[in-house]
Amino acid sequence: MMLVELERVNKIYNKGKANEVWALRDADLRVGEGEMVCLRGPSGSGKSTLLAIIGCVFPPSSGRAAIARRQLARLPDRFLTIHRRQTIGFIFQRFNLLPALSVRDNITLPLLPLGVSPSECRRRAGVLLERLGIAHRENFPVRMLSGGEQQRVAIARALINDQPLVLADEPTAHLDSALSREFMAIMADLKAAGKTIIVTSHDPLVAEHPVIDRVVEVHDGRVLPAAAGPPAGDSSVTDHGCHGVSGHGVPQDGVPGDRLHSPSSVGGGG
Amino acid sequence: MKCFLAKQFNLLDFAFSSLWRRRLKNGAVLLVFAGVIFLVASFHLATTALTATAERLLASAPDIVIQNMAAGRQESVPLAYEQELGGLFGIKKVVPRIWGYYFDEIRGANFTVLGVDPARMPLGEHLGQTLAVGVFPGAGVSGEGAAAGNAQVGTATGDGAAEPVDQVAAGVAPAVLGSLVSASLEVGKGDYFSLFRPDLSLKTFAVSGLFRADGDLLSGDLIALHLDEARDLFQIPSHLATDLCVYVYNPAEINNMARRIAEALPDTRVLTREQIQRTYQAVFGWRSGFAAVLLLAALAAFVILAWDKASGLSPEERREVAILKIVGWETPDVLALRCWEALLVAGFAFLLGVIGAWIHVVYFDAGLFRPVMVGWSVIHPGFALVPRIEAQDVLLLFSLTVLPYLAATVIPTWRCASVPAEDAL
Repeated sequence: MMLVELERVNKIYNKGKANEVWALRDADLRVGEGEMVCLRGPSGSGKSTLLAIIGCVFPPSSGRAAIARRQLARLPDRFLTIHRRQTIGFIFQRFNLLPALSVRDNITLPLLPLGVSPSECRRRAGVLLERLGIAHRENFPVRMLSGGEQQRVAIARALINDQPLVLADEPTAHLDSALSREFMAIMADLKAAGKTIIVTSHDPLVAEHPVIDRVVEVHDGRVLPAAAGPPAGDSSVTDHGCHGVSGHGVPQDGVPGDRLHSPSSVGGGG
Repeated sequence: MKCFLAKQFNLLDFAFSSLWRRRLKNGAVLLVFAGVIFLVASFHLATTALTATAERLLASAPDIVIQNMAAGRQESVPLAYEQELGGLFGIKKVVPRIWGYYFDEIRGANFTVLGVDPARMPLGEHLGQTLAVGVFPGAGVSGEGAAAGNAQVGTATGDGAAEPVDQVAAGVAPAVLGSLVSASLEVGKGDYFSLFRPDLSLKTFAVSGLFRADGDLLSGDLIALHLDEARDLFQIPSHLATDLCVYVYNPAEINNMARRIAEALPDTRVLTREQIQRTYQAVFGWRSGFAAVLLLAALAAFVILAWDKASGLSPEERREVAILKIVGWETPDVLALRCWEALLVAGFAFLLGVIGAWIHVVYFDAGLFRPVMVGWSVIHPGFALVPRIEAQDVLLLFSLTVLPYLAATVIPTWRCASVPAEDAL
């Protein structure tokens, strides 16, 4: 079943003004449930805009976009937010944590407006902290954590509401190779747990990781067809812009695949 | 409903931690705001305390006071007017009164001297209830009696009960003092002091009692004597008095009686108790109003500052809102959070300010505003203020202080809450 369906999607910033920008042109993309896709392309190619539309941050200017079987164009802002809350977990390039808040408070942030009780918040956060190996940092302000630990906090926050779709925007851009590998191992666990994951990245370590089912090339606002070759001179793009499926749910790099299984134990969406 | 409450509880909890994260900035805002509320509330409490005290004390004032006017200023009133008023139906009693001011050059203090004859006053026997200690110069007994030997200085006592009369030395007149006079002259009950007559001869008094402190607004600088002793001190001829106090049978007829007296005695000024009360209210109200205008201007400046602060988002605040939005907070959630924050700051500042004002008025007698509220004189009235707080006063203060702040901070929050989620990307 398709979780993400984009068809001839366009996004125009500042439409009708002198500084009008076509960020996406006739973009098509379909991502099935449990799939892990990497969006790759140079800076300004439209990856982040594509991710924002998938993430229900804003609707497309035109075209058809359906996330988890909901047509975004028909959803008013408020329902877009609610849909995002129920469906999508975000992991940001710079983690986007509130530095003065504790690890647990950052993780439970999405639950507060849902009226989830403090004890339930603690329970859900505790499960994730344990699974991500940062339980000992629970009450630390996040500004005191290392980059890798901060990213685990960001991952935990993205998962706290047990959303089926996880989006990661350049997640390894500020990590060294060891931490990048660690991140991918966690993603492999998530995938094994049934999550659908879309990652934007320049990093070959991500794009070429065996857990990635597909690499989708984005260039000048266009999503290149799977069969299309990489744009000339772009050495970062691999052959055909597409990787073979490395086995759904099969952990790679010797990462224990059961670490993040049974996400339902974390709790359903509020 | 349960979910709504749980959500509000979560938001309140988050608002606390959010304020704590920016504790320096919020602490400064809270202190300044509490200071403004403290000033406004102090003035309001002091004014209500003063007007309430004046109201209470004037409740026992004469129904009507008649003063003789000549060339637009007050002069002594002939006692013969007493006879003329006797013919007016409805008048219960007409009692002469002598009062004036005594400037003590040594201490640089101005005292008010009042001479009354309790024996002729309705409820005169209750005058003792205004005393903290001692007796009031009593009915039918005066310094003249004292001059004839041991004097009976009074029967009205501090607790209102009859007491054996005090004995004072021959030629010494009894006097009741306000607490400030007592402190200024450094005398207590049973002590003696002397005042000069206009011919510079000395008249000696014995302190027979002291007024209660809760009436200091009117009695703090007062020396109360028997009518005849006051006449002797000021050397006023026996056929004159400073003014005449009129008591009527029917309180509902006071204004009517006043009009008839004014017609009967066209050269006099006729003042009703209500008019005197209104004068006090106006004096305190004017002073309070003057100060309130200044303080409300300060409050307005603060509110404008708060508006300016709230309407300009720092990059850090903008980023925080964007993060909240992208993790699933709706605009009303962010707005509710900001409302809770503003309410916590304003509510806490209000509590601090009002409690501080209460302490300032009750324990420090509104020391900061005393000169403004009670006026400047050689002797500063040192009365104790007894404020009363009523729900409407609290609501008024709340409306004047907290609501403008909430409006100034929450309205611009719409802008803050509408930061798009993509700002976090």
